Amino acid sequence: MLFRKSVRKRWLGVKYVVKLKLNDKEIEAEKGKTLLEIALENGFDIPHLCMLKNLYYGTSCRLCLVMTSRGKLIPSCYYRVSGDEEFIVDSPELREIRRVNFELILSYHKIECWLCNRKGNCKLMDISRKLGVEGLPVCSQCPLAPDECLLTKGILCLGMITLSGCDAECITSGGQCWGCRGPVTREDILERAFRRYKELGFDLNDVLFRAEIFWNSLKEFERIREVVEKVKGDDK
Amino acid sequence: MKAKGEVILWSLLDKCCEKCKHSKINPCPDYIECRVKGPLCHDDQKCKELRKKRIEELKYGVHGSKIRIPLSSCTLATGAEEIYNKFKEYILEKRLDTEITISGCFGLDYLDPWFEVIMKGYPAAIYVKVKGKDIPRILDEYFEKKDVSNAFALRYRTGKAKGEEKVPLLDEIDVWKKQRKWVSRNCGFINPESLEEYILSGGYSGLSRSLKMKPEEVIETILKSGLRGRGGAGFPTGLKWKITRTQPGNPKYVIANADEGDPGAFMNRLLAESDPFRIIEGLTIAGYSIGASHGYIFVRAEKPLMASRLKKAVEEARKYGLLGENILGSGFSFDIDVILSAGAFVCGEETAMLSAIEGKRAWPRQRPPYPAQQGLWGQPTAINNVETLAHVATIMSYGLEEFVKLGTEKTKGTKMFCVTGSVSRPGVYEVPVGVSIRYLVEELAGGAPEGSSIKAVQIGGPSGGCIPKDKFDLPIDYETLQSAGAIMGSGGIVVINDNNCMVDVAKFFLTFTSAESCGKCFPCRIGLRKLLDILDKITSGNGSEEDIIVLRQLANSVRNSSLCALGGTAPNPVLSTLRYFGDEYEAHIRDGVCPANVCKAFITYTIDQEVCIACGQCAMNCPVGAISKTSSGKYSVDYDRCIRCGTCFIICPVNAVQKVGKKEMVRGEVCG
Ligand SMILES: Cc1cc2nc3c(=O)[nH]c(=O)nc-3n(C[C@H](O)[C@H](O)[C@H](O)COP(=O)(O)O)c2cc1C
Ligand code: SF4
Ligand code: SF4
Ligand code: FES
Repeated sequence: MLFRKSVRKRWLGVKYVVKLKLNDKEIEAEKGKTLLEIALENGFDIPHLCMLKNLYYGTSCRLCLVMTSRGKLIPSCYYRVSGDEEFIVDSPELREIRRVNFELILSYHKIECWLCNRKGNCKLMDISRKLGVEGLPVCSQCPLAPDECLLTKGILCLGMITLSGCDAECITSGGQCWGCRGPVTREDILERAFRRYKELGFDLNDVLFRAEIFWNSLKEFERIREVVEKVKGDDK
Repeated sequence: MKAKGEVILWSLLDKCCEKCKHSKINPCPDYIECRVKGPLCHDDQKCKELRKKRIEELKYGVHGSKIRIPLSSCTLATGAEEIYNKFKEYILEKRLDTEITISGCFGLDYLDPWFEVIMKGYPAAIYVKVKGKDIPRILDEYFEKKDVSNAFALRYRTGKAKGEEKVPLLDEIDVWKKQRKWVSRNCGFINPESLEEYILSGGYSGLSRSLKMKPEEVIETILKSGLRGRGGAGFPTGLKWKITRTQPGNPKYVIANADEGDPGAFMNRLLAESDPFRIIEGLTIAGYSIGASHGYIFVRAEKPLMASRLKKAVEEARKYGLLGENILGSGFSFDIDVILSAGAFVCGEETAMLSAIEGKRAWPRQRPPYPAQQGLWGQPTAINNVETLAHVATIMSYGLEEFVKLGTEKTKGTKMFCVTGSVSRPGVYEVPVGVSIRYLVEELAGGAPEGSSIKAVQIGGPSGGCIPKDKFDLPIDYETLQSAGAIMGSGGIVVINDNNCMVDVAKFFLTFTSAESCGKCFPCRIGLRKLLDILDKITSGNGSEEDIIVLRQLANSVRNSSLCALGGTAPNPVLSTLRYFGDEYEAHIRDGVCPANVCKAFITYTIDQEVCIACGQCAMNCPVGAISKTSSGKYSVDYDRCIRCGTCFIICPVNAVQKVGKKEMVRGEVCG
């Protein structure tokens, strides 16, 4: 025999096929593909962030974890199928783990969506919506950020300090954000936002006054006031 | 060490006469046996005599007396160098022809520095906790008065020295008798830089025997012995080798992992400093079994003596043809490189270690493929802990029958444990796997020093867990420890007493692991940081009930989703302290007290006015000037200014400064 069996088969265009069971769905897949590819092709939506096809398979973000039949967690972006196997690719437990991991990633992200050029074309934002992780400001979904931001035109918009999730409803329909979804909780975002207000020449008291409309009965409002005081005191 | 002017001696490793056919190019398969029992191929009384004489010389020194002084990191730290120099002075002064040789450490670190004096016909005496100034007196006693009554122990008796009956034999002493010296049998009693002494003590007979077997048979023997990796996970060594051997791909590699990085663990260092040839023999056997022709020893750069001893041993073995081409005429060629690690805890993780050896940044990678499938440069690689390899050499030398008698059903043999922390006899102890924690901590390490009591032990270093006192009857084996929330790890046991706060202990270990995280994957890099932040919050008095829930959830998530075992085990200290010492966490959060009075936010210092002698030392040394004289002439602390550094507490000559919980303090003031 001139060539090894695998080489011959590849030449002849024969593909090895393995039988997989993802959750309850039985599928056939080509051997050597990554589990993530196969799952995505078959309609399972596994969040993934760090895998760059043909460039990086370092398994850093740990969002694409799936569970083997023995209960071990493995990153699907790295795992190449080689035999008939079963995996759980989506379950409440897995979602919980992915959510925690994603929150960790987000917690170290310097969030300044109002200055970000990606204009909503942001993987972090997509995944945060899919996993139900709250915490990004409305600007993350705003079509105007950053160049045509209302704030740069002198219109007071509460997008920077308001939780996203409404698809920036008011802004898309021509208005400004009034903060109806409540404030973002992370203090560092608030701080940067208020700095930005100040930088653009808004009176912070005006911003607070506007915010009070929806938030005056909130427990956190005290904290927001404190942040404002802090930002005000910056110059001194 | 040879005295000045001495001629280079014939050594056991050399030819006895022209009839010996052994040479480096054409090695004799029976070389090792022949050196000790020989000559085997020819019968010559003269050659026999020559060997016998040399063996005597090795035992008792060239001129019938010898001093062994252990030079290893632990004894050097307690002043062995000074003692070594004193010996030289003494010998020069008295014009003695006593030989001074070095040895390794025998594991009983609380006795350091120690040494052994040997004279032919007299008992070999061990003196411990010696000071430089005592040397002349001790040696006078031994060499001139032949009096051993001040020795700590004898290695054997001869009945000729004075006071012999008063001194116990080493084998009769409790801490020695209760151990089972298997891999560490030579530690402290041979010269770690002398291949000759190693061979005399039975070394290299394992390799010699293995090379006469087929590689598959060697693997079969190791499989049968049930030896499991001593580096942490406890994977059966024979199985690992079998897998590596049967993988397609050539060349294959073997690696000895000597990157011992856990704080509080030093058994690998002790082994490599005291008996390095055993590791090299084990690695050579591993290479032979899996079909590798090259091996690496990956040594922690922060343990320079360990590295230099291993390097020297490799050179020595190479010099006598025990590494290199056609070892012992078997046709098997093998060589070893000693590589210094890049100096991070994570380098001990096997895939990170592979990266480091390849010259890349020491980042772990996802397994599978396991190193046995795709290891160094993509080739099948067997990675073993140095203690595992030493076990291999010992099993091949002494047979597996004795080995399988020790240990438990699932884990055979012995394991070296390093007991440190709050015990009266810290050191390295080798015991059969499966003895209880109590046995190790109390019977061997002597329990808590006076004035304190043991609260828990941390087994397995920073990746292990805390096991409380009431669980001390648990046997130490891989499965039991795992289900108790700890791990065997490499065998480090840190004993924690009741002056320690468990939240603070968890914080200590987490500080280590979060600093050592390589940063590749997020759960470990950020998760450990967040866990640490929460612990900080609790110990600084700002904790809430919710924090405990978050702590538990986050710790579990980090454990399950991290890439490598560093992140996968780092939350163990948190989880195990939460499991066994949840009340301490609650006390911090709910009652605002630190039960052990450790966490600064919960304590304050006061001065007992009755005891204070008004010396003013505390006031002088307080870095923030929080102590001042009161109207009564005594001193008192200004609680608002005090930063709780504890200086006054340490400095007060009459112990008038007391550490009290803040809560009690406030209550006391209200009442009074
Ligand atoms: C963070 C980390 C550090 C490690 N450090 C060591 C070490 O210092 N020495 C060691 O032998 N194994 C260490 N290991 C375990 C090795 O990865 C590997 O399991 C071991 O060397 C296998 O050898 P064995 O089969 O003989 O136990 C470490 C593992 C991790 C995750
Ligand atoms: S318009 Fe409002 S929501 Fe949009 S970027 Fe500016 S501040 Fe943010
Ligand atoms: S678990 Fe920690 S040490 Fe291991 S790869 Fe992830 S970041 Fe690195
Ligand atoms: S996509 Fe990041 S680990 Fe798989």
